[in-house]
Amino acid sequence: MNELAIKDLLYKLADDQLILGHRNSEWTGFGPILEEDIAFSSMAQDKIGHSLAFYTLLHELGEAEPDTVAFTRNANQFHNNQLVELPNGEYDFSLIRHFLYDNAEIIRFEMLSQSSYEPIAKVAMKLKGEVKYHVLHANTWIKNLGTSTEEALIRLQSSLNEALPYALGMFEKSTYEQELINAGVYAGEEAVKSEWLKRIQAVLEKTELRLPDLKSKEPKLGGRYGEHTEHLQPLLDEMAEVFKIDPTAEW
Amino acid sequence: MLKSLDPRVTRLNLPDGEVPPMEEKPELDQFETYEAFHQKKDGAAHTYVGPVHAPNEDVAFLFAKEQYSRRFPCVGLWIARTENIQVTPYGNDGENVYDMLRIEETAEQIEQPEPYEIFHLKKRGKAHTHAGRVMATSYLNALQEAKQAFGEKSPIVNVWVVKSKDVLQSAEDDKDMWTTVPEKKYREAIAYKVMDKITKYKEERKNTPAQ
Amino acid sequence: MYGGGNIFEATKFDDLQTEDPAKLAEFEARIARGEKIEPTDWMPELYRKQLIRMIEQHAHSEIIGALPEGTWITRAPGFRRKMAQMAKVQDEVGHAQLLYSAAETLGKSREQMLTDLINGKSKYSNVFNYPAFTWADSNIISWLIDAGAIVNQMANAKGSYGPYSRALERICAEEAFHLKYGHDAVVHMATGSPKQREMIQAALNRWWPPIMTFFGPSDKMSTHTETLMRWKVKMASNDECRQQFLDMYVPKIWELGLTVPDPNLKKNQETGQWEFTEPDWDEFKRVINGDGPCNAERLAVRRTAEERGAWVRRALLNPKAKYVRPLA
Repeated sequence: MNELAIKDLLYKLADDQLILGHRNSEWTGFGPILEEDIAFSSMAQDKIGHSLAFYTLLHELGEAEPDTVAFTRNANQFHNNQLVELPNGEYDFSLIRHFLYDNAEIIRFEMLSQSSYEPIAKVAMKLKGEVKYHVLHANTWIKNLGTSTEEALIRLQSSLNEALPYALGMFEKSTYEQELINAGVYAGEEAVKSEWLKRIQAVLEKTELRLPDLKSKEPKLGGRYGEHTEHLQPLLDEMAEVFKIDPTAEW
Repeated sequence: MLKSLDPRVTRLNLPDGEVPPMEEKPELDQFETYEAFHQKKDGAAHTYVGPVHAPNEDVAFLFAKEQYSRRFPCVGLWIARTENIQVTPYGNDGENVYDMLRIEETAEQIEQPEPYEIFHLKKRGKAHTHAGRVMATSYLNALQEAKQAFGEKSPIVNVWVVKSKDVLQSAEDDKDMWTTVPEKKYREAIAYKVMDKITKYKEERKNTPAQ
Repeated sequence: MYGGGNIFEATKFDDLQTEDPAKLAEFEARIARGEKIEPTDWMPELYRKQLIRMIEQHAHSEIIGALPEGTWITRAPGFRRKMAQMAKVQDEVGHAQLLYSAAETLGKSREQMLTDLINGKSKYSNVFNYPAFTWADSNIISWLIDAGAIVNQMANAKGSYGPYSRALERICAEEAFHLKYGHDAVVHMATGSPKQREMIQAALNRWWPPIMTFFGPSDKMSTHTETLMRWKVKMASNDECRQQFLDMYVPKIWELGLTVPDPNLKKNQETGQWEFTEPDWDEFKRVINGDGPCNAERLAVRRTAEERGAWVRRALLNPKAKYVRPLA
């Protein structure tokens, strides 16, 4: 198996979760109700934990220490999709992003737990249950809010419209796409995407929210190849502010 | 705009300066409450862990899962709306509250029996624990049945009774949501061991001549 | 994270003579036997009022206490610290949830408590009105403020009110993580690079004066205080807590070669008591009454969280919802 292909996949997985976990952690102490504040923080912690697990696999393949990789790269070295780096906005946007992202994430984890590449399979198998809760959380919220007040519906629908092009960017293909599929590492982005559409549709059908016509939405691509919105670099600078005071220090 | 040491706060774009008082929160702004019971391991009785505020039992489950089972092993969670739980008076420690209650026989039983869950408190200040399930036609009848079935296990200072259909129970295949909890050591005291660093530091200081 | 200072002042002492003597005797006998009081038991109004006041202030201290350390949640250096900082701040929110629930069992709704907090009618621990300038400030808070809180909370966990004790048991278990995490972070800083040492010493210098006021001024002994102690509402005096804290933590600070910024701090070997420069109680009063460096910001943030979340709560509210107090 081409190691570069595996590394590319691991970077995508790790960077997505690091950036989304970081974004979601910004809600801690600011949530709409105490109980939700707690639940959202747990999921943010899980995401950071998942990214650490994948950076650790990368380290085993010869990449730098997880801390170095996470805290010293610049935006153009990150492989996350652009959806996760967008600012939190109001709770409607954060929830919609959580819904769109985690419904894709669970499919990746399900596929990867069957992967021919054993180190990834093991990690995905172990962490799948955590993502299951994330999806349950997201879908329960969308079902509840998506059948509620007009105010909530307007907010959610507008966030959904705004987030969708970025969400489609989650499925941007890697240079090694066919290689990964052929080697049985996972079924590839096209497969993740079509299953994802089925699942989010099934949830949205139980609500008054409507998935915008996909043909009218141009996917926001580039994230997997280091092209990012203006929001990622400031996020990384903030995240590394203390770390960079002395990157060799033990904090 | 308020500029804070916390970049998250700065991004909230809060007005800097005096603001009028906040209007009183309306009733139910924080929803109603649900009571949560967790199961530490397979076969163990579900034990009361505390309430959550939530709009319905599904959301209450999401909330209780993280508020009450993000640490320590857990294999299951039950949720019941507070309103649906009937509570006996409290007895003194050491007593059996069933002996103090006058649970009168209902003359005629018209209703079909249905299952009820019974929770006992053994000592004041501790947590209610699931004693078992009884078939009954009413809350009062459930208490009678419970007295027969589990009432001997003195002391029992308080009893909670709730219809089984009013208890949301996590499913067997939900267990995997908790499997990694014991591995999240970063939120446990045990992960932080600093004695070695302190000892090493003291050694180095001893060996450094005073300034 | 709560020190307990300043809660017993300014409450008007209701005359116990208005209470039913037989019920009062039974209530007091129960506490004397070491039994807990549970929510539906008869209790004197003074007991109920004082507990609501105390538990509510404790809850406010947790939710506001999430903010100084939250200042560094997006900037914690390295995975280990990042995840732990998130978990620690989350715990503070969780503690608030537990404590508001315990207070609710006594009859004050969470809505009322949050309104009173935001409108300044109800206090929280004064230390959280000070800023966390650097990452090191956050470490000092995690270690020493939580250490102080544990001293207070361990004592209160033995108090007479069942729901508060239950909440505190869970809280103390989680605080054990906070304390170790905070100590670990401070040790890394103190034994690290010269820059790290300088940062942690500066943070200790900033936080020491607020820490010394954490448990509140010396208690004025009165029949009121005696009653609350007999009822196991107040479990230890402010001075006892402060002495215990100094006993446990000053040696741990010194062993790291850090300087406590009080030239008068020493343990009197004859009395066994710590001696120190009397904290500036005038400043304490000024700050607790609103004129501190962060009071306005702390309340503004809490208010904004409540206001920006209002549409979510409105949307989810079931029209058939009916509030009843939590059971225990």
